[in-house]
Amino acid sequence: MVIVKRKELSLLERLYVPEIARGLSITFRKMFEKKITRQYPEEPLPKTEVTRGQPRLVVKDDGNIACVSCGLCEAACPAYAITIDGGETDRPIEREPKRFDIDMLRCILCGFCEEACPKDAIFMSDELELADYSREMLVYDMEKLKRPAAAMRKRIEYVHKINDRWRSAPRPPMLADQHGAHGHAPSASTAGSHASSPTAAAQKPHAG
Amino acid sequence: MQTFEYAPGLVPPRAKTTDGDDPLHGELLKLNMGPQHPATHGVLRIKVELDGETIVRIEPEVGYLHRGKEKTCESLGWRKFFVHTDRLDYVQPLMNNIGYALALEALGGVKVPERAQIIRVLLCEMSRIGSHLIYLATTGIDLGAITMFFFCFKQRETLYELLDAYTGHRMNNTYVRIGGVYADVDERVQDAIEAWIDQFPAAVDEFEKMLTGNRIWYDRNYRIGAITKEEALAWSLNGPNLRGAGVELDLRKAQPYSGYERYEFEVAVGTVGDCYDRYLVRVEEMRQSARIVKQALKLLKETKGAEFLAEDRRYVLPPKDLVRSSMEELIHQFKIVTDMALPKGCAYHGIESSKGELGFFVASDGTSTPLRCHIRAPGLMNVQAIPMVSMGRLFSDMVSLIGSLDFVMGEVDR
Ligand code: SF4
Ligand code: SF4
Repeated sequence: MVIVKRKELSLLERLYVPEIARGLSITFRKMFEKKITRQYPEEPLPKTEVTRGQPRLVVKDDGNIACVSCGLCEAACPAYAITIDGGETDRPIEREPKRFDIDMLRCILCGFCEEACPKDAIFMSDELELADYSREMLVYDMEKLKRPAAAMRKRIEYVHKINDRWRSAPRPPMLADQHGAHGHAPSASTAGSHASSPTAAAQKPHAG
Repeated sequence: MQTFEYAPGLVPPRAKTTDGDDPLHGELLKLNMGPQHPATHGVLRIKVELDGETIVRIEPEVGYLHRGKEKTCESLGWRKFFVHTDRLDYVQPLMNNIGYALALEALGGVKVPERAQIIRVLLCEMSRIGSHLIYLATTGIDLGAITMFFFCFKQRETLYELLDAYTGHRMNNTYVRIGGVYADVDERVQDAIEAWIDQFPAAVDEFEKMLTGNRIWYDRNYRIGAITKEEALAWSLNGPNLRGAGVELDLRKAQPYSGYERYEFEVAVGTVGDCYDRYLVRVEEMRQSARIVKQALKLLKETKGAEFLAEDRRYVLPPKDLVRSSMEELIHQFKIVTDMALPKGCAYHGIESSKGELGFFVASDGTSTPLRCHIRAPGLMNVQAIPMVSMGRLFSDMVSLIGSLDFVMGEVDR
């Protein structure tokens, strides 16, 4: 326990005028320090792979999105921003979204959709600015949401890195047992899947 | 000075004026402070009745920012409610995340890995510093010390940049999950935090140089709104307000969570319990928090590469690479996202937030729909103390009183 020390003002401090002079001396000293103000719109803030901007659908190198319209992102979204209508497709993934809308006015950029998606189809971009002339224009449909994987590579790699846990460390016994029982080789199943393009590589066996 | 007993609704007898020119003819002046008053720190409405400049009747009114958070939890489910905890006390979102996660972990019986606990302590203390900086800045600006606002916000800006570098957001971070945290604090961020925390105590000294012996600050805080120990306990005050009154109660020491018992720090306690003491306690807490941050950074270096999220398939999403390769993990992923249920029962967990005891009471009937989530907001108790401390004082003291009680309406109204 530390009892805070209360101060009794000295005569000099009571007099007030010397204190003004002291205060002004601080002000003058500060004038020559480095300025930290940023001129925001002209001088954009630094964006890194950690930045969680608006969610985007990743277009893989073969021109398709990986989404199978499973609806998990829709279920994970705490803001009810996502609307998905699924349908069938001739591609090997069998299902794809016919409609995929994200209401950017509802979206709170939490990243739960990215965390939930089992197909690595949706990722947070670094696009943060949001302005338009009507509410309708801010409900983004599939075409507006698509972004090439190349533009999102850094973020994709970052998310994979977060999820790298348990890979380097020895796998906990419970998990190892489960995998043993199901005939999976835990290390072989994931080895090399992030070599160059994580999304493309991970999807290859299914999407072809 | 004349003082009045606090009795809600009772207008004390007014000293009769013999002055025939009294334009009010002995009536009291009714005044509305807020809900949009900048000095009420949010949307708090205070109805005051003034006799001259003396407050004779006062009634704080809360609820202008009520968004039904507790009910929202019942409809959203446990997982999705995390984003709403950010928006309770919005100057310390990560601390709220942690409080909520701890309550869920208590109910679910989840063991949090060591590194996650260290990261949580780090985030808690950084949030505490951020919250106290806001207190200093806004109370300073309310009492005319505009320089304080800029000094504090300079520090806070760096703090938010660090949080941005770690979580990707400046506010409303949502980076805590049941069983740990979403991502590890990487070395680049650790170094940046270290650089910031190394210069921080000097900045606190500067704040103190500006305020502690400043006559205006002194006159407007010293012996203003003194709360005795007994009063503080009777009104269930908490946090720096309680400690300022001389009660040594800090949940980090009294019932340590997240491994707080490992850290060396002191609980700052005041003697008189006035605004000045509360200010000193908060300044001291910033110094102590800086100490804890340094120790946490050291521990982070020692536990490099360890788990930061528990291995628990009931509540924690499986790693993505396993989801892609194993049907069973995929089912876990679906189950947790859409339909996560906590075991039947209830649990309460309180943490020492920057405002006091922030507690979450969660009750589950075993299904994925929460039965009840109650939030014990420390700010509400602090708002309740406004009539007690301001009765019989000058109206201009209200500003320092409200500032020094330090509440955030997002949490009070929830
Ligand atoms: S984006 Fe992912 S989670 Fe959402 S529907 Fe498509 S595959 Fe499912
Ligand atoms: S970022 Fe959050 S709010 Fe936005 S669409 Fe994804 S889950 Fe919904």
